[in-house]
Parts: sequence; structure tokens; C-alpha cells
Amino acid sequence: MGAAPTDMPIPIDWYLYLSAALFLIGAVGVLVRRNLYIILFSLELMMNAVNLNLVGFSRFHENMLGQGFVLFTLAVAAAEAAVGLAIATALYRNRQTLMVDLFDRMKG
Amino acid sequence: MGVEKVLFLIFGALAVIGGMATITRKKIVHALVFLVFTFINIAAIFLLTNAYFLVVVQILVYAGAIMVMFVFAIMFLDLRTFEQEEQTHRGQRWVALALSTLVLVEFVIVLAGITFVSARGGITPAAVAAAGGDSKVLGRALFDQMLLPFEVASVVLLVAMVGAIVLVKKEKTSDVATRSWDPAEQLTPEAREGED
Repeated sequence: MGAAPTDMPIPIDWYLYLSAALFLIGAVGVLVRRNLYIILFSLELMMNAVNLNLVGFSRFHENMLGQGFVLFTLAVAAAEAAVGLAIATALYRNRQTLMVDLFDRMKG
Repeated sequence: MGVEKVLFLIFGALAVIGGMATITRKKIVHALVFLVFTFINIAAIFLLTNAYFLVVVQILVYAGAIMVMFVFAIMFLDLRTFEQEEQTHRGQRWVALALSTLVLVEFVIVLAGITFVSARGGITPAAVAAAGGDSKVLGRALFDQMLLPFEVASVVLLVAMVGAIVLVKKEKTSDVATRSWDPAEQLTPEAREGED
């Protein structure tokens, strides 16, 4: 069980368990909450869970590419937050609410 | 059990607690504070993993820049009215919770059966220290092996910036343009409420 020969002080499994837990907390937040802001927070949480995996595997495989990847995830997260907040502001301006189930004009 | 493992367990538990608090808070600013708490704990775990540059980036960009952007956007809107409303979807909250727990159990079962084998890339912390530190090695990798993605990321950020500006831009800007900056000519709060 994760007993690969490596000098890592923390087993790689631990990163994966923690990352899975954080990712699913974020998933629950996206699925359950009605507030658009909380949903954006949960998305950030999920991205951080992925970053944790990348950093853990970067250390495990003794490779720098994982850490470089985290920087790109970060850039995408920043872009997503900016566009998400802009959409939230525009929606609030048009509908005076942020509860996502009330945005049903397209009958989805 | 080494000191790293103990610290990992502590910071991991705090990160999970912070995450759970984030998605259960009614007040958005409280949720945001717990989210920053989670990010700082994740930065601590990066520190235990010898990713020193990413610790700084995590705190600066996530716990700093992105969160300030969220706070800024929250201040624009009056969000206190939403605290009285129902916070979760009536139809799907238990289903979503049950399905997510199921997926977590699946993760644990699958991960318990896997043995990972290190690829032994050779960039150990000792090798990184000998080559001049984490930032130097990461920078070399970033501008050598990952140069094209790096440039593409800058385009992504530019597009996001332009997109955000276009999305929040007001349709009618005529009355905004003529408003005076003189403090004596500013509208009182009462008059401003009647305006829109």
C-alpha cells in the first residue's frame, strides 16, 4: 500500500486521500448550495485539491513539471475567478438575486 | 512516525475542517475567511513537500489576490438579503451528499489497492539544493520545458481580463460620464437611492 521505494517522508497515498476529501467537499458545495458565491468558492477549493495532488506527485516522481503545472492551474483559477465574478455581478444586476435555481429563464 | 507526518495530519485536518466550514456558512464573508484558512493550510502542506516557491505563490495569489478580488466583488453587492433565504437546493441536497460520500468511499477503496512506483526523476530536494534552490530549478523548467504553455497562460489571463471588463461594463454610461468629482456636488445617499 504505497510502499514504493522513495525517500519521501510522507506517503503519496496521504496526499491522495486529503486531495480526494477536499475535492469532494468542493463538489458537495457546488451541488448543494444555492448561492453563486459559495459555488465559486467551492470551485476554488476543488482546484486547490488538484494542486495538492500535483505537488505531491511532483515530489514523489522527483520531477519539477508537477510544480510548473500548479502555476498554470493557478493562472486558470485566477481567470476563472475573474470571469465568474464578472458573470455574478452581471447576473445580480439583471435579476437582483444570486440564488442559482432562480436563473431559469432558459428553462434548462 | 516522523514529525512531517504529524504536521501533515494536523494541517490536512485543519484544511478539511476549513473546507467544510466554507460550504456550510450562511454569511459569505465568513465562508471566504474559512476558505483563506484552508488555502493557508494547503500552503503549509506544500511547505512540507519542499515546494517552497509554490508556498509563496499560493499565499500571494490564492489567499491574497483572488480572495481580495472576491471581497471586492462582495462589497459591490448587498448580499445580506440572501442570508434569510434557503441556502440549499431542496430537491437534491441529500442525493448530492450521498453520491459524494459514495465517490469518496470509492476513492479510498481504489487508492488502498494501488501501489505507486516512483519514476525517480532525480530532482530530489538534495539535488534541488545543490542546483541553487527551488525557485531556480522551477524557473529553469518553466522557461525551458514549459515555455509554450507559459505563453498560452498569459493569453488566457488577458482574455479573462478583457472578458471580465466587458461583462461588468454598464450598458448606459452617459449619466456616469457627466457626474462631477467635486465633493460638494456629490449626491446624498437618500438622493442616490431614489436615482436608480
